[in-house]
Amino acid sequence: MGELLRVDDLRTYFYTEAGVVKAVDGVSFVANEGEPLGLVGESGSGKTVTVLAAMGIVSRPGKIVSGKIFFKGEELDHKSEKEMRKIRGKKIGYVSQDPNSSLDPLFTVGNQLVEVIRTHFEDTKDQAWDKGVKLLKLVGIPEADTRMRSYPHELSGGMKQRVAIARALAGEPELLVADEPTTNLDVTIQAQVLDLLKTLGKQLNMSLILITHDMGLIAEMTKRVVVLYAGKVAEEASTLEVFQTPKHPYTAALLASVPRLDRKEVLVPIGGGIPNLITPPSGCRFHPRCAYAKQICIDQIPPLEESGQRRLVACHRWKEIDLRRKA
Amino acid sequence: MTEAKPATKQRGASQAAVAWRRFRKNKSALAGATVVGFFIFVAVYGVFFAPLPSRSFWCLYNSCADLPPFQNWAHPLGTEPSGIDVFSEILHGALGDLYVGVVATAISVLIGLLVGALAGYRSGVSGALLLGITQIFFVIPVLILILLFARIGQLLVAHGLGLTLIVVILGIFGWPTIAFVTRGEILRIKELEFVQAARSLGASNTRILFRHILLNVLSPIIVLASLLVAGNILTEVVISFLGFGDPSTSTWGLLLQEGFSYVRTSWWVSVFPGIAVVVAVLGFNLLGDGLSDALNPRIRE
Repeated sequence: MGELLRVDDLRTYFYTEAGVVKAVDGVSFVANEGEPLGLVGESGSGKTVTVLAAMGIVSRPGKIVSGKIFFKGEELDHKSEKEMRKIRGKKIGYVSQDPNSSLDPLFTVGNQLVEVIRTHFEDTKDQAWDKGVKLLKLVGIPEADTRMRSYPHELSGGMKQRVAIARALAGEPELLVADEPTTNLDVTIQAQVLDLLKTLGKQLNMSLILITHDMGLIAEMTKRVVVLYAGKVAEEASTLEVFQTPKHPYTAALLASVPRLDRKEVLVPIGGGIPNLITPPSGCRFHPRCAYAKQICIDQIPPLEESGQRRLVACHRWKEIDLRRKA
Repeated sequence: MTEAKPATKQRGASQAAVAWRRFRKNKSALAGATVVGFFIFVAVYGVFFAPLPSRSFWCLYNSCADLPPFQNWAHPLGTEPSGIDVFSEILHGALGDLYVGVVATAISVLIGLLVGALAGYRSGVSGALLLGITQIFFVIPVLILILLFARIGQLLVAHGLGLTLIVVILGIFGWPTIAFVTRGEILRIKELEFVQAARSLGASNTRILFRHILLNVLSPIIVLASLLVAGNILTEVVISFLGFGDPSTSTWGLLLQEGFSYVRTSWWVSVFPGIAVVVAVLGFNLLGDGLSDALNPRIRE
């Protein structure tokens, strides 16, 4: 199981007029080959920015302040823009949240696929077109030949997301990052797109990073989870462990806010909102919302400690508290 | 979209095709397009129908000067006391006005797109600087400067350059609106997900700016350009009317100005070119409005 993407102590700040927003503040994780990784957290916890920073496409006023990013052991942050362009799309594919705006309305589906294919391969237009048709078939679009000539506004949301996935696959990447790929889709379509992502991973020998706030998706799709809170890693573990024995109160709170069919329980929302990242709370950033907070949580930043085999947690009190859900 | 989609359709409906479908249903837009089409036709081919050449005083020596309209069918719209045939002048003037309207607008659109694109795409110091320059151009009293430059230009540089000088001046002062709109649109579009998607898939900055951003800016610019043509034609009339125009090239403004001095006795000299100006400007405005409705994605039939 080789290492694909390694992010080391990444800090990405946004220099806005109101102050410096520390959107990502010391995030580390490793995405391994064939081990689907989930980045989970509320909106604004830094999931998307982390990945965009790894690909080097954080736009102003955002800036990568420190941290190292490796792809297959190769350091990315010293590469020129031109070299990075060969990594984006070719090594790492990215599917964004909203299929309705992720396709350029002025170009046909075929046009947009051909553009990406010809960016990364020395294909003629006809060759690229044929590849495009194959890609559409691969993502399960019927009448691929006709659809190549369609404009985005002629397709349904699910179709558009399939096209966006096909486009992300056009460079034959080794790693596919799906950023909330189903948030803007109907429930029935969501299942189809998830199935597609799963089978594609196996079929193309491609690894997946899934960004979401939905613990259900995490359970369904990933083997490993990084829980982010307010720009910091709260907990990292295998998916199974996270669901069975969450160690960080935030992880437990996320789990408690997901409805379950197998038992009757009251859903518990997490009180409060994500903190202001210009002046984050002292100590543990979760302490204002945490049911287990003590004085130490206000005073000291909890280190990311090993809490088991390949398990990390950033909480002062993880040893004392029992977060397992009552059966 | 709400249109029915025939499954056998060979090529999808591009935005242009959708816009055309909407445009076709808009009566005033069609009227505007017809007027503009007729105006262009007259400007290009009018010279073949004109009884007399441009700025010809032929009538003065052939006893047909100062004829009222609708009396002598060789001079259907009458003649000036100086002998100039009004009908011929309107036909010849159409070319001058089309030249002013279209070329000055082209210059403005070019400058405006360039400045606006850079101001929008570069958000740093250079962007702020370009925005500042645009705002300065926006607040200065343009007409007075245009008159000033027209007079200076005629006196010093451009003897015989005439109308082209006015075209260039109009073009140089007409771009701020275009730049503002371009900048605003670019600021909006560059945050859209398809721009980020293009970047995440390895597209270069140049490709993103020209292929994905600028093309998406074009529809409001087309609308603005159509309105700007009307504006430029009107400004040319004002310049000529105030006596700062080129007296050797036929334009409707020049004819209006000549007619103004004897409007009490020979009303037809200024009334007919006036009607021509109103119709042409109205045509371009209707066309612009129609295009705006057709190209605006928020308005669906």
